[in-house]
Amino acid sequence: MTMPEKARPDTLRGDDVHREWSRFKYPQTLINYGVLFGILLFFSYSIHYLNIPLERILGMFGRLGDVLANRYYPPDLDYIADTDYLDSVIETVQMAYLGTLFGLTLAIFLGWFAAYNVSPSRKYIYPVARLVAMGCRSVHEMIWAILFVTILGFGLLPGVLALTMFSIGFAGKLFAEEVESIDMGEVEAIRAMGGTNLQVFVFGVFPQVRVAFTGIAIYTWDVAFRAATVVGFVGAGGMGWYLKRNIMQIETERTAAILLSIVVLVVISELISAWARSRVSKAQ
Amino acid sequence: MQDQATPLTLDDVVRLRRRKKGVQFGIFAVLIGLVLWSVQATVIDDTDWQRIGTLADIGESVAHFIGVDFALIPSLLGPTIETFMIACIGTLLGLVFCVPMIWFGALNVTPFKPVTYPIARVAMTLSRSIHEIVWALIFVSAVGLGAFAGILAIAARSLGFIAKMSAEAIENIDHKPVEAIRAMGGSNLQVMIYAILPQVLPVILGIVIFEWEINIRRSSVLGLVGAGGLGLVFFRQMNTFNYPGVTTVIIAILMLILIGEVVSHYSRKALI
Repeated sequence: MTMPEKARPDTLRGDDVHREWSRFKYPQTLINYGVLFGILLFFSYSIHYLNIPLERILGMFGRLGDVLANRYYPPDLDYIADTDYLDSVIETVQMAYLGTLFGLTLAIFLGWFAAYNVSPSRKYIYPVARLVAMGCRSVHEMIWAILFVTILGFGLLPGVLALTMFSIGFAGKLFAEEVESIDMGEVEAIRAMGGTNLQVFVFGVFPQVRVAFTGIAIYTWDVAFRAATVVGFVGAGGMGWYLKRNIMQIETERTAAILLSIVVLVVISELISAWARSRVSKAQ
Repeated sequence: MQDQATPLTLDDVVRLRRRKKGVQFGIFAVLIGLVLWSVQATVIDDTDWQRIGTLADIGESVAHFIGVDFALIPSLLGPTIETFMIACIGTLLGLVFCVPMIWFGALNVTPFKPVTYPIARVAMTLSRSIHEIVWALIFVSAVGLGAFAGILAIAARSLGFIAKMSAEAIENIDHKPVEAIRAMGGSNLQVMIYAILPQVLPVILGIVIFEWEINIRRSSVLGLVGAGGLGLVFFRQMNTFNYPGVTTVIIAILMLILIGEVVSHYSRKALI
């Protein structure tokens, strides 16, 4: 049996002759596979490092279902209909509202300073503003809440401040990105007329991002409300404290009721924010 | 009834504008009223001003946190790596679990619309609306303390977001490749693999990387409820009133998140 390949002239060997089309050529494919292999290696090593019983994952669903069905069902609805609890819900809403509002007010300035194209001083203010935005965003809201509780004591004020810090970071970054993508023509026009930096921002930048900013504000409120439901865990007010107490006392039916109320509240706030966002984008 | 054909008179324009102004004024009045009410309830009534004391007292409390506990740094390396791994594996596990949810939750590929679509949507909302700390508590009570509970909590929390965004991506695909493969006699599975997946894979990977970046931040606090990682060290420093140590842990968290942000930036760029 003669192999037809042998008849091929040797000049073709080593040449870039590809019979089949492929998106990536030789060196690129090697890099791609190498990266994929590295990621897989990392995952398997970390599963080993963290001692994760992979075989328990599938069995866990059955157990989790049992736990939910036997202990968390039926939710104790009388408990969440209590006026004390409803007061704490209202406190949570107020806390989220104030935190978002303060945070957004500061985020306007932060977004202005942290946007490369309109920042008053690219050399000094821009990096500082970037750093502040990153710091506020990377520290989790629970850590902010713990810090403020340590400094100010228990109550709603630390919760409001924790949510404020969270909203500054969250909205500040989104807002800065929005400002960086504006049309610079108007900014130049106002600069050419001799406008100060503040005037440039108020008359040149802000009208362009007003609608986007409203969207960001609504989104921030949405996320901050979710965070507000748990900052009470560390004593920062709101319904988190009820949640922690019942979990610690293994009052599972009450916990289920509280979780249910959180889900309902989040769905309501999501519906409201979806409606508001659609109104805003329509009004544009 | 205002007919579209009849042109608006000046009076109409003025009246409409005035009405719009009135509505805006009303909305602002309501918002400001809410602010006043909330400030009254939270900041004035509920705050223990005696405990806070003067501004100097606050300054003193803040000053406790200034400084870095260098002795703590070597013992931070292990928990930092653990936090990072919890975030990575949690995201991966979330992605694995959300595959059926994406399939059920996208309107154009869901197998049986009246049943599967609402199930997927409810699961997504549930996953997103419960905070990661609460998820961690639930899983700690189900599988015990340790990194495993943290991973499950991260997976449960991130799955809703990934599934929602991915399902929206699938709903917005170009339908011509789907039709082409159907016309060639392809089965539903073949349609999914050859027509839908190539279109949405880069989008889904981008979403996953974005979520992974957030998950690093989330996994850094799961230790508060006993799910391992840097949060545990943080909590221990807090309970022993070692405030410079607290600052050190926060700096470690910042470093880790900075690394995550850089990696996510470049990998998303490489993807596009």
